[in-house]
Amino acid sequence: MRGRGAHRAAATAVVVGSLILLTLLALPIVALLLRGGAAGLAQLGADRELRGALALTAQTATLATLITVALGTPLAWLLARERMPGGAVVGALLDLPLLIPHPVAGMALLLAFGRASPAGAALAQVGLAIVGSRTGIVLAMLFVAAPLYVSAAREAIARVDERYESVARTLGDSPTRAAWRVTRPLAGRGLLAAAVVMWARAVSEFGAIVILTYNPKVASVLSYDRFTGEGLDAALPVAAVLVILAVVPLLVLRSLRGTAALGEPAR
Amino acid sequence: MIEVASLAAHAGAFRLHDVSFTLPRGAWGIVLGSAGAGKTTLLETIAGVRRAAAGRVSLRGADVTHVAPEARGVGIVYQQAFLFPHLSVERNVRYGAADPAHALDIARRLGAGHLLARGVRDLSGGERQMVALARALAPRPDILLLDEPFAAVDPRGRTRLRRELRALQRELSLTVLHVTHDFGEAGTLGDLAILLDGGRLVQAAAPAALFHRPASAAAAEFLGAENVYAGTATPLEPGSDDEAGTMLFRAGSLALVGLGESAAVSHAVIRGEDVTLARERRGLSSARNVLDGVVVEVVTHGALARVTLDVGEVPLVATVTAGSVSELGLLPGSRAVATIKATAVHLC
Repeated sequence: MRGRGAHRAAATAVVVGSLILLTLLALPIVALLLRGGAAGLAQLGADRELRGALALTAQTATLATLITVALGTPLAWLLARERMPGGAVVGALLDLPLLIPHPVAGMALLLAFGRASPAGAALAQVGLAIVGSRTGIVLAMLFVAAPLYVSAAREAIARVDERYESVARTLGDSPTRAAWRVTRPLAGRGLLAAAVVMWARAVSEFGAIVILTYNPKVASVLSYDRFTGEGLDAALPVAAVLVILAVVPLLVLRSLRGTAALGEPAR
Repeated sequence: MIEVASLAAHAGAFRLHDVSFTLPRGAWGIVLGSAGAGKTTLLETIAGVRRAAAGRVSLRGADVTHVAPEARGVGIVYQQAFLFPHLSVERNVRYGAADPAHALDIARRLGAGHLLARGVRDLSGGERQMVALARALAPRPDILLLDEPFAAVDPRGRTRLRRELRALQRELSLTVLHVTHDFGEAGTLGDLAILLDGGRLVQAAAPAALFHRPASAAAAEFLGAENVYAGTATPLEPGSDDEAGTMLFRAGSLALVGLGESAAVSHAVIRGEDVTLARERRGLSSARNVLDGVVVEVVTHGALARVTLDVGEVPLVATVTAGSVSELGLLPGSRAVATIKATAVHLC
């Protein structure tokens, strides 16, 4: 009897604890949507600046994601197959941008690619300004979100048994061709999920972007700008639209996770 | 031809050490060994998908140790088949083939013709292996590496697949290296048997020699020898040419005349099927070992029976037919006489 009572108390504690955490997570979102959701959606039609910021956010996040997919997938493959010398160090380096505060990331980018830096000066020579430009936004998004893609892509590739590639090699494929013809399709859903996570993270970035490129404004910077300039009520519709748009990648991710991994050998 | 010389390879923490053997062109080599012996690592190193840490791999007389797998002309089939799940059976079979018609012909020969339009996810274990074999043979390799390819196949399918593969091997002059746990396969298919243990080569010999002349007691036990005794041996009638290699082996009260090749003999090995049983001693016999014993246990497996005798406080197992057991009236407690030729007592 005592055992059953203790079990019931533990179960109650788990349920109550979960409810507290879920409330803490959901309450601010619900409050935001209730206060600004309808107004934000209505404002989408009339507010050109908001529409422009959303379009800029989507474009720059998509570009940052495409660049990362192109450059990060081979890197993820090397890390997954443990074929990169110093792979552990590279892995740690990749995690670093995730751990430093994003305004600090912005400052680091400013130092590396600002007009006063050699790299920034060289890029300016070829007409590619980083600070105060769309390029700066893409760079900031890439810096903070690319590690998420590489990490998730590495896991997706590692889940594909290496012996698929071994078989493809004995059938005449080079390592790159085997990775393209076999590993890429088998890890495809995982790679797509990784890209969606990166895109969503890039869309929500504020700290690094605001230091590198205040104007043109992405949606997160616009909501901050309105909050500091015009107050909470003016910022709420923009913020609510950002929350509503965040549902899209969330749904994509849920649908991707619901499907079985191709790379696991069937029984 | 596959020639492996002092080959070493790493697979995680596992190490394959100093493996050497030669498998002639068109021969069928069998790789035996317990789990973790290094069988798959050996195959993968020969295929080139695993790098050799030391030593040399030669195929068709050419050193390919540093040649990429796609340039080695070797097909590999794993136990799990590893069919590409995003491709149909037909596209799997044609994956590496320069001649699609030949690929499909091979698939039909192996009995996979009716599967070509299907996806690979709903294939049975036997069907998957048929497709994997066809896929490996489609690019016309002359060397085929098989990693327990029949393990997931039902007995009927296994016999048919083995027969077809054997016919294809002869027709195409394939050199095959085949990992298996099935000693029957080793006996029926193999020209050379390679026994690995703990990443090292224990013995490479013709299957009959491996089974009847194992290099060590551990090898004998792994290969299913029923009687392995630890003891000492002395040359019998030293100096006599007639008795060259013949030794008297003693293990406690047991004394056996057997054949050994080394002065450092420490074990005697007798396979159960080399022991003949009778109810009483008969007249003169050429057999050098005649042992009186008492039946301790009789275990019947289908047509065969495993009879354990107590011969001087030492157990001796004989494998005889169930019919013989019944005819001789061998029951626990009954007396029996075991006869073993000296040539069947392997000293190692």
